[in-house]
Amino acid sequence: MIALIHFRLSTLLHSQRYLPPALLFLAVLAVGTVNSSGPLLPVYALCAGAVFISAAWLTVALANIEGPEHRAITVISAGGSRAPLVATIAVALAGCVVLTVVGLLLPLAWGTHSPTAAELAVGVGAQLICACAGVGIGLLCSRLVITRPGYSLLTALALVMLTLLAPAIPPVNPVLRLLSSGRGPHELLWPLLGFAAVAIATLAVSAVLTQRVAARRT
Amino acid sequence: MLRLEAVSKRYGRAAPVLTGVDLELTAGQVVAIKGGNGSGKSTLLRIVVGLSSPSTGIVTGRPASIGYVPERFPPDERLSAAAYLLHMGRIRGLTTRVASRRAARLCDRLGLIGDASAPLQRLSKGNAQKVAVAQALLVAPQLLVLDEPWSGLDITAHGVLNELVTEAAGSGAAVLFTDHGDALTSAGASVGYELTGGRLRPRPGAAGQRHVVTEVVLAAPVTGPQPRRVQWSALPGVLDTCHEGDTVTVRVADEHRDALLLAALRRGWSVTELRRAAASAQPPGSGAR
Repeated sequence: MIALIHFRLSTLLHSQRYLPPALLFLAVLAVGTVNSSGPLLPVYALCAGAVFISAAWLTVALANIEGPEHRAITVISAGGSRAPLVATIAVALAGCVVLTVVGLLLPLAWGTHSPTAAELAVGVGAQLICACAGVGIGLLCSRLVITRPGYSLLTALALVMLTLLAPAIPPVNPVLRLLSSGRGPHELLWPLLGFAAVAIATLAVSAVLTQRVAARRT
Repeated sequence: MLRLEAVSKRYGRAAPVLTGVDLELTAGQVVAIKGGNGSGKSTLLRIVVGLSSPSTGIVTGRPASIGYVPERFPPDERLSAAAYLLHMGRIRGLTTRVASRRAARLCDRLGLIGDASAPLQRLSKGNAQKVAVAQALLVAPQLLVLDEPWSGLDITAHGVLNELVTEAAGSGAAVLFTDHGDALTSAGASVGYELTGGRLRPRPGAAGQRHVVTEVVLAAPVTGPQPRRVQWSALPGVLDTCHEGDTVTVRVADEHRDALLLAALRRGWSVTELRRAAASAQPPGSGAR
């Protein structure tokens, strides 16, 4: 598994496909956090939304690096298609952790806030929840599931917008609204834990679906 | 070892690509499948290695360690050939040192010396194909499956590929390859099939022959000039060569025996012995189960 993760990471870094989602993330943060002041949690809501979009984009980019022939070789070398998919998810999540660290610290550097430990914890939690949901959506829109790039892009846009904006679909929109509600960070702990469970479940279901569809296509 | 029983494959509602294919591979056997473009050869190989599952029928006894060389190896990776092979070796469980040593040796044998540090993207088709062959042999496979491996390779690499295939079979791998040309004997295939209309049939004259190989012992003539050096492995039909002192023993497929003798005599070699070699071939169905 370590070898697979190393391989995925190397191809991602060499392909430089991480750049567009990373730049989008920085752009959103620059617009939303430079000279921000006042309560920190609404700012972290914005960061979490940006993590969500960038996570989905990063995952699609990562999963699409490998063409069908190379994927066949990787699958045979690894002795099955599950381990390569898990490695893809692991690398995507690792990328999201980097984004989360940036999203945690940049508002403090660019704005004027007096952070408490609880606020920082809520910020990390919200961003990681959105990261899991973004990776899950990214998998479903990758070429493992949708082979035609046009359909893939349209599906990705639709799913990301829907998840971001529809209040009825957990976990992204409810979490963002929770952070913007003006409630104190201590009140958010339990709801966030619930949404974290939903986010992990979303990612797991999406991974299983991706694995099923990719296996069935062949 | 591996067995396909009544395997059929159809994509959607289109006409089936494969119909009722029975195939058995045993260790040490080299099996060739011939068929035209679009005859379903690649689909059959993908089912054999487990990338694709059959619509009906069953596949049993697939070994754990498989080497697979796909028909095309589009160089869309930015990694260098050396780095790519290192990664593939590590994914197969080798340590970095062993993987890089195996990769370097395979690249060396296949003639990919100068290009190993160039990105895969910049490799020519033939060199990319060599990388594809090398990755399949990083770990001695129990099942080696090659999809038209000869296309795009230069003539020297043909000989090396023949050697590699023979070595893999010699160390107990079942080897299966396809070709649209007549490469059946060039890799010393012991069993041949033809795939037409989605059905697999034994090739007349190939299947079931127990003696398809001749050992030719060559030496420098007693009088006269020294013979010229010959790269035996590059000649058609040559399975392997063995150098012992001044003599060379070449194992050649029967069909290419005369051509080999002619080439040897022309270059000043003297033929000291011709032997029937018992090929490892077994007719399909009679092999050990």
